[in-house]
Amino acid sequence: MISAQQDSNTVRPWRYGLIAVIVLGTSFSVLLSKSIDARRPPLDNSAEEERLYVTGNSARRMSLGFSGLIADWYWMRSLQYVGNKILSVPAGVQIDDLGQLNLKLLAPLLDTATTVDPQFLEPYEYAAVVLPAVNVDEAIRITRKGIEANPAAWRLYQQLGYIYWQQGRFQDAANAYDRGATIPGAPPWMQAMKARMAAEGGSRETAREIYLRMYEQAADGQVKEMARRRLLQLDSFEQREAIRKVLSAFHQHFGRCPVAWKDIAGVLRNTGFTVNESGAPVDPAGTPYVLLTSTCDVDLDPDSEVPYK
Amino acid sequence: MDVIVESSLTSDQKHSKRGSPAIRISAIARNAFREAVRDRVLYNLVLFVLMLTGAAIFIGELSGGQERKIIVDLGLSAMLLFGVFISIFVGVGLVYKEIERRTVYAIFSKPVGRGEFLLGKYLGLCLTLLVNVLIMGAGVSLALIYVSHGWDSLVLNIWPAILLTYLELMMITAIALLFSSFSSPALSALLTFFVFIIGHFSADLKSLSTTLPNASARWLFAALYYLLPNLANFSYITPAAHGNTPAFSHVVMTSVYATAYIGVVLASATMIFSQRNFK
Repeated sequence: MISAQQDSNTVRPWRYGLIAVIVLGTSFSVLLSKSIDARRPPLDNSAEEERLYVTGNSARRMSLGFSGLIADWYWMRSLQYVGNKILSVPAGVQIDDLGQLNLKLLAPLLDTATTVDPQFLEPYEYAAVVLPAVNVDEAIRITRKGIEANPAAWRLYQQLGYIYWQQGRFQDAANAYDRGATIPGAPPWMQAMKARMAAEGGSRETAREIYLRMYEQAADGQVKEMARRRLLQLDSFEQREAIRKVLSAFHQHFGRCPVAWKDIAGVLRNTGFTVNESGAPVDPAGTPYVLLTSTCDVDLDPDSEVPYK
Repeated sequence: MDVIVESSLTSDQKHSKRGSPAIRISAIARNAFREAVRDRVLYNLVLFVLMLTGAAIFIGELSGGQERKIIVDLGLSAMLLFGVFISIFVGVGLVYKEIERRTVYAIFSKPVGRGEFLLGKYLGLCLTLLVNVLIMGAGVSLALIYVSHGWDSLVLNIWPAILLTYLELMMITAIALLFSSFSSPALSALLTFFVFIIGHFSADLKSLSTTLPNASARWLFAALYYLLPNLANFSYITPAAHGNTPAFSHVVMTSVYATAYIGVVLASATMIFSQRNFK
């Protein structure tokens, strides 16, 4: 008993010593890491843009049964890659208009994700929406690859049709919708889209139909949001045309432009516009339009949710 | 070990020491399971649960709405990976530890056959893996319910893939036991890991066996294709994450294949182990 107490008495100072070493050592290593980070030269941006050295087929071969997980990793890397690029540009840029961002790794990343797990449909959808502004041929190739691997997925035909429509290739788009419409389970509007695309591919109503269907069907939140904002934009185009008519009529009647919105607020209200307390008509996102008195025109407020381009 | 075998044998008073092999095998299996639990093998479940909980909470931020798929991919892949590590590192030590502690001499001084000993050890580790896989499967199901905010059809659809994963782990365990019956634990672990890797390249082996210009090379790769386990047959994690389930006939065929392969491997292990002198 006495010797055990003596043992514990002799051990205790060592324990304190060890705890001190752990605490001080950890603090010192944290400080040292911070100091090393501060002295490290900035990362070479070109290294981040280095080509992927593992092809999709190699990644699939080496996956050892973990192919789903590897595809998820490439998918999340694609999202992070686009997300980091978006952070470097002013807010409000649409994900279908990212051509300015030099997303040269996006196609290989999405290609690898879909080669490793060909049934993973979301990367195809992302490729169809984001890639055309960067590399339209790759967007078409990846979507076609998806169709080959998933012949029963009519949504891929919808996405292929969307890419062709964006490029103004209305007959190709009509063919894509037509082939998709024959797949069991495809909604009836796929056939209607075929007809509309062939007859009036470039019309605003076709665009509205495309974005409406995309909004309804998209699984990816970013794609859904893009479709929603494009629908707002289409509504805004029509509203601005109507406002311009009112402005023009005012100009013809008084020989000048209105000084403020309140000059035409009554007419706008009668035409069916929602008008705020200062008389300004509000856009589909609820932000007041801007009156350009110098040119007698209307424009979107820069803070509006409605896309400018 | 010998004490437990002894006590188990004597507790069953209806049987003499020469009693049924099933009782002796089950006594060894129970002991192997207890030993694995005592060795804290199941502690990997804590890591698994932490990983899955973290994924369920944070993956939504990163996955672009693909939480369900990623939870299944991550959960079932971790199940396979942790299971393979347990199969290899515990499997190769099953026999070696008994030899090193010299308890194997005491066991074989009793009426316990070499085959019974190996089979008991094998079943004990399979039981450990079964508990592991069932708890992990339940964990993945709960994580799915959490991220889906309610019932999700994937909760049921993942179980055939879990069964196939378990069969794959049973095969790896048998192979680890085979190697450990004649070589050191380090070499056995290495060889078993190689078999696990090559087993997933079976499609390439088959392709080489038909496309190479050299006839003897074609024959070699064909032999390797049929002799090594075709583990690609058991990979159903990725389709399971899309809600697909394997055809019933595929599950039955792969189960029969696994049973036959395990039988061959354990018989080979018994033959090799029987040659060793423990007198």
